[in-house]
Amino acid sequence: MTVIRFGMELIQLFPETLICGTLMAIICSVFGVFVLLKRVVFVSIALSEVATLGLAFSLVFHWPPLLGAMGTTAAGVALLAVPDMRNRIPRDVLLAALFLVASSGSILLVAQHGLGLEEIKAMLYGDLLVCSATDRWTLLFIGVPCLVSLLLVLRPLMMVFVDREAAQVMGLRSGLWELFFFTLLGIVVSSASKNGGALLVFALLVIVPATALLLARRLWAVMAVAATIGIVVVWAGSLLAYAFDLPINPSIIVCSIFLFLLSAVHATAKTER
Amino acid sequence: MKDTTIIECHDVTVAYGREVVLEKINLAIPRGVLLPFVGPNGAGKTTLLKACLGLVPHQSGTITCRFGAHPPAYVPQQKQIDPIYPLCVTDWVRQGFFPELGFWNRPTVQQRQRLEAVLARFGLLPHRNKRFSELSGGLRQKTLLARAAVSLADILILDEPTAGLDAQAESDVLALIQVLHREHNKTILWVHHRLDQCAALAPQVCRVEHRGATVEAVREMFR
Repeated sequence: MTVIRFGMELIQLFPETLICGTLMAIICSVFGVFVLLKRVVFVSIALSEVATLGLAFSLVFHWPPLLGAMGTTAAGVALLAVPDMRNRIPRDVLLAALFLVASSGSILLVAQHGLGLEEIKAMLYGDLLVCSATDRWTLLFIGVPCLVSLLLVLRPLMMVFVDREAAQVMGLRSGLWELFFFTLLGIVVSSASKNGGALLVFALLVIVPATALLLARRLWAVMAVAATIGIVVVWAGSLLAYAFDLPINPSIIVCSIFLFLLSAVHATAKTER
Repeated sequence: MKDTTIIECHDVTVAYGREVVLEKINLAIPRGVLLPFVGPNGAGKTTLLKACLGLVPHQSGTITCRFGAHPPAYVPQQKQIDPIYPLCVTDWVRQGFFPELGFWNRPTVQQRQRLEAVLARFGLLPHRNKRFSELSGGLRQKTLLARAAVSLADILILDEPTAGLDAQAESDVLALIQVLHREHNKTILWVHHRLDQCAALAPQVCRVEHRGATVEAVREMFR
């Protein structure tokens, strides 16, 4: 009964938190399925940090936060699209460099302009509690169309992902499709980063889809399960935070990791049987 | 149609960076052949086929391809495929319909029947709901071949289809290649290493070397 009471209070007091969290969970979790399948986990964490750098720019120079996040993310995607030097160094080095530049850059920017630890914390870790109607519209008009676009081109995209060369022979321009995916991913990450923060966005992009991959066998099922788990962890984490007076974003991350561990145990037990 | 040339290479040179892999290749491949590409390791067999498909750029010369109404089907080595994708055998084979279906259309009744027939012919029906990661190397290769077989492509290009397979799986895959050629009338170009097997399957081979590629009768090579 207490849980229901807490839940009702949460809905009444923080409706935007729950709406934005739910939207973010659905969008990021479904995108995350492809991040994992394409084995570009480091790309997603690097892009989350690059979006944070954009937010830092916005904070310091008084730009609209979304503009800053999208600007730097677009630059990050463009940088990743440059033909790499994989014959000499692994691609991960470029990602690590991007991650380091973005994370240290954002801290330096904010510190240099006299902003305090709280601003840095809010920027890095985000806070779903302060979501507003503007954030909801941002997710609805930017994140949701990105998700719909992804689903609309799922067939050619999967062709390119699973067998790049065969897809190219069938007439698909693999490089352009990959760039399209990373652009959508960049937009999603930047639109979610303001309130999600780099850590929550990363958890929704990686931990939640990983849980779904452990539980479901077919692609559509994996996407549906990922979206559902995303919603469950956002609501459970919010409830946990409200009930025990904890910061909301880390609470959601803890819930997602808890579910992931449970699924891993279940999957292992199933395999051994 | 048998004598129409599908691929014509004229003085083709291919290089990876500064390393020239193929130099001044001249070659004409007729439609309707079952043609293994043989040669020593690193001779450029796969590179030549990939250059013909436009997957690898060529530095000089001209490559003219007359593949016809449907794009050719390319079958990579099964070890190049990441088995992580949550797709079952049916999903994989259905990908062969992509040039016909495009982005959104669903398979028609005839296409579904074609799919069932190919799955049955390739012995994949008992495995149809298994994921790629749950298949043996031989079944993975059969799945990729079935994807090519289900398409309307007249020309199949296979990159070492028996690489890494045990003797039984190798013989199964080679038998299926013959089926595709004889029963489905496909032109098949494939990279292979064992000349003795080529002799049993095809009357002629394409011998690829760093500085040339020639189509010659298998018996000539045994002289």
